[in-house]
Amino acid sequence: MIFNAFCSEWVKLRRKTMLLGVFGGLSVAASFFVILLFTQAAAVGPGSADLPSLLVLAQPNGLIHGVDRVVVLLGIVAFGVAAFQIASEYSLGTLRQLLVRQPRRWALLAGKYLGVVSFVVAVVVVASLIAGGVALVMANVRHVPVGAWFSTAGLRDLTGALGELVLATVGFATLGLAVGLFLRSAVFAVIVGFAYLVAIENIVGRVLPATSKWLPGQLLLGVGQGGNATTSFPRALAISGVYLLVVALLTAYTFTRRDVTA
Amino acid sequence: MSGPSPIRSVNGVAQLDSSIPLDLAVHASGLTKCFGDRTVVDAVDLTIPRGSVCGFVGPNGAGKTTTIRMLLGLIRPTSGGGTILGGDLANPQSYLHKVGALIESPAFYPQLSGRNNLRALARLGGIDTAIISPILDRVGLLGRSTDLYRSYSLGMKQRLGIAAALLASPELLILDEPTNGLDPAGIVEMRDLIRSLAEDGMTVFVSSHLLAEIEHICDRLIMISDGKTVFQGQVAELRATRSDELILRPEAASSLASLVALVEQAGFVRHVEESSWGVHTVVVEAGTDQAAALNRMAMDAGITLIHISERARSLEEAFFELTGSHSRDVRASHSLGGVR
Repeated sequence: MIFNAFCSEWVKLRRKTMLLGVFGGLSVAASFFVILLFTQAAAVGPGSADLPSLLVLAQPNGLIHGVDRVVVLLGIVAFGVAAFQIASEYSLGTLRQLLVRQPRRWALLAGKYLGVVSFVVAVVVVASLIAGGVALVMANVRHVPVGAWFSTAGLRDLTGALGELVLATVGFATLGLAVGLFLRSAVFAVIVGFAYLVAIENIVGRVLPATSKWLPGQLLLGVGQGGNATTSFPRALAISGVYLLVVALLTAYTFTRRDVTA
Repeated sequence: MSGPSPIRSVNGVAQLDSSIPLDLAVHASGLTKCFGDRTVVDAVDLTIPRGSVCGFVGPNGAGKTTTIRMLLGLIRPTSGGGTILGGDLANPQSYLHKVGALIESPAFYPQLSGRNNLRALARLGGIDTAIISPILDRVGLLGRSTDLYRSYSLGMKQRLGIAAALLASPELLILDEPTNGLDPAGIVEMRDLIRSLAEDGMTVFVSSHLLAEIEHICDRLIMISDGKTVFQGQVAELRATRSDELILRPEAASSLASLVALVEQAGFVRHVEESSWGVHTVVVEAGTDQAAALNRMAMDAGITLIHISERARSLEEAFFELTGSHSRDVRASHSLGGVR
């Protein structure tokens, strides 16, 4: 049942506009970011937190500097895709068709969730591979030795960072699914989500700095970055995990109980 | 919610409840749905025999779509229950795999082709996708199946909706206003399609506010108004609830009063109608078997009748009589009814 719902979701996800828009767009954005990173980096010295030097980029964890900075971008995309996929079922009225073919609502929701999550994870992997390829080219252009990247320590750091990125992306997708389901309007859900993650959390965090370590967006950012100045990775993972579990339970309860009048 | 199910549990053993006939595709009683203080569907009973084509008629806002959504498990009834194809209404997964439905306007993904829209639904229902081409062929969309849904005309969208409903090879097909928004040619196409599906032995439950549509397609009728059932039975039974009418026109206008008195004396219910061009006729509640007797009576009284004709009672009149309303939301749509 869940697998059927998962396969059905992928029929919708693999449409050209979605594939080109999300995979292509993110790959281009990530590549552009890598190009900027390498072209703007100073040749020597430690560089800054936002812009490491070529010397730092040559370290085993050099690529992670790029990965950490795309968490927000990937999170927003994951949130938007998930919110759109569920909210559009309401706004298009297609949910009633789906529920006639799969009346077990929990199975439909689980399959849809897995479909969306697998999609955004695939986006992360593909964008990372392409950005990694671009990084190799740029390293060659700027004469940065890349041997350390492929050392055991380098590969371990890179896979760890990608794993954290995937976890954060799944978290953002879960939030997006919940917001899309509660608001039932694709456009409204995406706007509200972006406004909250990009603007509101930042404003609240600046006005009341102590709240930053409790805000879900900031916590997921901490997960994606493997811990940051605001919170440690284990703490971010634990608290955001609790948040997401509560959100997932509320979402599932609402979806299975709510009348479908759309 | 407790609904009548033909299967009951006695000491943990499922047994057939003989009070519910098994040849019914739908048997629901007391279906009620309240949204807050507003009762949208009020104790509606539905009895639809297997293999029948049953019309579901009522004005806009009468509760048709809400009732259909309850049958499809999309809306939880506030009270009442029943069985559909032997499955409990409270447990939609027990019967929905044998049900196809088109609910209100067709709803699909505009960025997908017609075929991929059906593929998404087939995959969801665990249905072999090989069935898609024959179904598209049946609804006349095979040639346009790879076009994006958003490029389809309204008629094509409706036909794709029917195709989606047919994916599960349903025993019961529920169509909610399938002719909504279609032009006369599209309505005829849809009617023919529904007829051909019924000929395959499917039970069809079709809602409409176009009475003429229902009259042409259905053998059975359920009428609701303000959320309540006002009639349930054969179409012929509904017509029989009021006798047909005979229209009598005297040769001389001066004989009209005498004719009226004569008809009244004979015990017939009558009224006088005036046509738009000023001709008066006496309308008598009587069947054609009374025509000869009325003619003889008039002749004996020295009144020459130059016109005697029968006027069959329309479903629209029957509906208005049953509901006591004159809502023009329920339309006989005579012009469309004449299209063949």
